[in-house]
Amino acid sequence: MPYIINNETGEGKVTTIELWPYNSLKPRGFAFFLGVTFALISLPLFNVLGTKVFWGLFPFLFLTLTGIWFALRKSLRDRQILEQLRLHKDELVLIRQNPTGEQKEWVCSTYWSKLRMYDNEGPVANYITLRGNGREVELGSFLGEDERKELFHELSRLLTKLKSNL
Amino acid sequence: MADAAIHGHEHEYHRGFFTRWFMSTNHKDIGILYLVVSALVGFIAVSFTIYMRLELMNPGVQYMCMEGMRLTAAGLGECTPNGHLWNVLITGHGILMMFFVVIPALFGGFGNYFMPLQIGAPDMAFPRMNNLSFWMYVAGTTLAICSVLSPGGNDQLGSGVGWILYPPLSVNEGGMSMDLAIFAVHVSGASSILGAINMITTFLNMRAPGMTLFKVPLFSWSIFVTAWLILLALPVLAGAITMLLTDRNFGTTFFDPAGGGDPILYQHILWFFGHPEVYIIILPGFGIISHVIATFSRKPVFGYLPMVWALIAIGALGFVVWAHHMYTVGMSLTQQSYFMLATMVIAVPTGVKVFSWIATMWGGSIEFKTPMLWAFGFLFLFTLGGVTGIVLSQAGVDRAYHDTYYVVAHFHYVMSLGAVFAIFAGIYFYFPKMTGRRIPEWAGQLHFWAMFVGSNVTFFPQHFLGRQGMPRRYIDYPEAFALWNQVSSYGAFLSFASFVFFFIVIIYAIVAGEKETRANPWNEYADTLEWTLPSPPPEHTFEILPKQEEWDKSPAH
Repeated sequence: MPYIINNETGEGKVTTIELWPYNSLKPRGFAFFLGVTFALISLPLFNVLGTKVFWGLFPFLFLTLTGIWFALRKSLRDRQILEQLRLHKDELVLIRQNPTGEQKEWVCSTYWSKLRMYDNEGPVANYITLRGNGREVELGSFLGEDERKELFHELSRLLTKLKSNL
Repeated sequence: MADAAIHGHEHEYHRGFFTRWFMSTNHKDIGILYLVVSALVGFIAVSFTIYMRLELMNPGVQYMCMEGMRLTAAGLGECTPNGHLWNVLITGHGILMMFFVVIPALFGGFGNYFMPLQIGAPDMAFPRMNNLSFWMYVAGTTLAICSVLSPGGNDQLGSGVGWILYPPLSVNEGGMSMDLAIFAVHVSGASSILGAINMITTFLNMRAPGMTLFKVPLFSWSIFVTAWLILLALPVLAGAITMLLTDRNFGTTFFDPAGGGDPILYQHILWFFGHPEVYIIILPGFGIISHVIATFSRKPVFGYLPMVWALIAIGALGFVVWAHHMYTVGMSLTQQSYFMLATMVIAVPTGVKVFSWIATMWGGSIEFKTPMLWAFGFLFLFTLGGVTGIVLSQAGVDRAYHDTYYVVAHFHYVMSLGAVFAIFAGIYFYFPKMTGRRIPEWAGQLHFWAMFVGSNVTFFPQHFLGRQGMPRRYIDYPEAFALWNQVSSYGAFLSFASFVFFFIVIIYAIVAGEKETRANPWNEYADTLEWTLPSPPPEHTFEILPKQEEWDKSPAH
């Protein structure tokens, strides 16, 4: 499930929720794929070691290997979105880290915040938004629709608890 | 912070014809473009062969004369045989078919269109690079055709060195035609490598949640293995032909014994690319055939896991058998024994696939719709070509068959008939999905039977010719080979007629075919994700991740 809830209780602790888009390529897979590709792509070079032809082949093989390495890295980086929601007693802080490195922030008083899920009106089914402080912001639009439903229920429960303990 | 977009449909706009087809970054549109362009190039490459079969129909030279090309044999005086023209045509046919027809159709066309759909991805990982790949392919095709028409060897147009471009012939060929051919292969190679990088990234990182590697549909697997083979093999070719280019133009001696080079080394490098290349051509076909057979037998495909491992094994073995194309260059006995044994081992994973397809049909409720007919044809012809492949893999036997028509018959059975039948199976299978229209069933059946009979009549007699000792790549032959050459030519004309008929049928079906808007026009065994979409699919698909129950139909895997 591409989100975790750190439900820490006790004095001065806050609950945080972290969300990120799903990537089917895991770090181990990345390493395995590049390792095997490296081994196989260097195979023809053994045939021509010590000849001039080696230098005719090498640049092309090297370029290709760099190309696939760069492409896989870029694909992972393009999806490096991290949404972090901190549920303080008196305020909610939502920080969104974009792939470009820029960071966006939304802060709202917990009491006045309003959580909503649009079944069909949003760009995706079960679109979750938080409203408050003059803005309405989205949450986890990159998750699966069932995941968003689950997240919504969990979040409503947490918010109700926070608001009632004020 | 991403502000909420509740009425989030503002980004939709209408794309004009030019924007949609010439500046497309949409994987489905690019897939269709690949299919259309490869069909046109295929038509050119096939016309070359028809002219060649016309020439070979009778002993003596009647059409390809020094005095000019003729279209009728109604004796217009003297005819001096023009061997250069013949060589140019076989070279053009080979290069176009190997680089510009079959791979773009199967890998570029079907791969682009259906691989992202089957894994539930919204598009390719790098849509703009996808556009670049396509237009580089078009540029490469243009260069290849320019090469046929520009000044070359023997003070004539075009170069006639064979698609393998062996030095010293290719280095000594005059004119600029040969350089254009090398550039054509460069550009198409770069296009394929970029395409492969794109496909691999998409396949590895954009699969739907829950779709582990061994739950991916077989067609997507075949595209992934193909992309991997392209990534490993094409750079080797790029290096080899770059060295040819510098040998030709800058006086280097990579492959010239006079300067310490080795022409045989070129053959090794070329076939290190060339053998994986034939699997690059056929593997996506395997993927399509698996889906077609499962659908029309109304059974899930037999032995999913062995099928995947067979794809991987064929890909891996493809890299260690290259020298079976060159048994006659003077390798040691040990080397020949190794390449012979390794080659025969490929029959094992291939056999796993063929028997699994048969087992899929076993006890199934088989329906002979057009795509299934093509799949049947594929199975029969590919197996036949595979069997002659086992014969040719014997280093001793190959001494007799090397460079005869037996080899021509063998590789046309596996590629011209195998891969091309898979392309047609794919077209008839996916046409309703891609266009929202139906191809008339009778027309598909007629096309199939004409092509099936025609191509068998063309290529089966070539086994006899090869066994009688008729060599490849000659414009003329002795009287004794006349009968089977004549039969073969008749077969070629029938196949060509069916090919022209196919173009007419497709144009008719696109313009006026019966509408087919059901998501799944076949049956519930066509159970991959593309069949959950409307026909034709909307511009944007799977922008929302698909749910597992939409595609995971056989949890037993």
